[in-house]
Amino acid sequence: MKITLEVDVLTNNNRAAAFNRQLFEETNTLVINIMSSPGAGKTTILEKTIEALANEFRIGVIEGDLATEKDADRIRALGAQAVQINTHGGCHLDARMIAAVLPQFDFQHLDILFIENVGNLVCPSGYDLGQQHKVAVLSVPEGNDKIPKYPTMFMRTELVLLNKIDLLPYLDFDVEQAKEDLSCIHPQSKLLPLSAKTGEGMDEWLHWIREGVARCKKQSISQ
Amino acid sequence: MHEMALMGEIVQLIEQDAQMKKIKYVKKVELLVGTLSNVLPDALQFAFDVYKMQANNCLTMNAELIIHIEKAKAVCAICGSQYEPVTKIAQCPACLLPSGNIVAGETFRILAYEGSLTHENYIGS
Ligand SMILES: Nc1nc2c(ncn2[C@@H]2O[C@H](COP(=O)(O)OP(=O)(O)OP(=O)(O)O)[C@@H](O)[C@H]2O)c(=O)[nH]1
Ligand SMILES: [Mg+2]
Ligand SMILES: [Zn+2]
Ligand SMILES: [Zn+2]
Repeated sequence: MKITLEVDVLTNNNRAAAFNRQLFEETNTLVINIMSSPGAGKTTILEKTIEALANEFRIGVIEGDLATEKDADRIRALGAQAVQINTHGGCHLDARMIAAVLPQFDFQHLDILFIENVGNLVCPSGYDLGQQHKVAVLSVPEGNDKIPKYPTMFMRTELVLLNKIDLLPYLDFDVEQAKEDLSCIHPQSKLLPLSAKTGEGMDEWLHWIREGVARCKKQSISQ
Repeated sequence: MHEMALMGEIVQLIEQDAQMKKIKYVKKVELLVGTLSNVLPDALQFAFDVYKMQANNCLTMNAELIIHIEKAKAVCAICGSQYEPVTKIAQCPACLLPSGNIVAGETFRILAYEGSLTHENYIGS
């Protein structure tokens, strides 16, 4: 017996993502999905961001890693709530994993939820988690060629944080070339050079977040 | 191994549907895979074979996977010409700009499956 199904392979993920998105919108929570290759500096950027914004916003973090609570512990050390998801070999977070941990957060008292995806420049970009914003982190030691080499990631993120610019004097990373490559594959996207270590460029990132929170709150007023 | 996770999605979606129809054994699965969908047919086949070997799902040991390929197609936003892009950065051969809107090739769908209610075609241990 032949049965015609005609469904997208990611149907179940997309359904869970829609559920998550509805919750985020109803509670006016800004949700940002941060993706990069391993070690680009996602957790360090989050640490600095939480330190800078702790007095302004209530922040929660979901940490995705193959194993360990290390990244969640780094966030907890700053007093923010962090929930660790271990994927046990899985190379990305999917929307059902997110949905499963959402009850651990008190969304009535949360302004921002950061989701740190598993370190991987390939498939996390294919999974909608229900977030409003996808941000990629690229770091100077990874080299210039990553944007054209991993186009799917950079075509789907609206902001690219170019981290570790304190290392520019020692490496041959060409920032202008990276900007050009990005504008070529995704003209609406933006490259933001910064250093989580020295704090250079962090202000613009914090400004971008503040604008995002303001947009979320405004939606609630107009509703 | 990304295709393993994707095959998990496929098996799960088919099982959801099969359960409603009281289908126990699935003998054939047909997919439509776009050349720009970031999915490798060989790796999918491998993942399918791995799932087949596991007794805890609906696939029979001799189940067949058929992959239909969807060719990529882009339409240039500047000159309107249609062409087959090689990558997602759909460079127009006439304008030499990445100005193409991809209209086909990103699909990754389950088209159909073939199942039976009984054991008859089940050639497994
Ligand atoms: N020089 C320099 N080092 C940095 C900077 N940001 C992060 N690092 C270092 O880079 C290393 C990796 O940083 P993490 O923040 O753990 O990177 P990650 O992306 O969270 O890594 P995974 O979660 O394992 O994928 C650490 O040793 C950081 O101290 C920076 O701006 N400059
Ligand atoms: Mg980390
Ligand atoms: Zn993956
Ligand atoms: Zn053209």
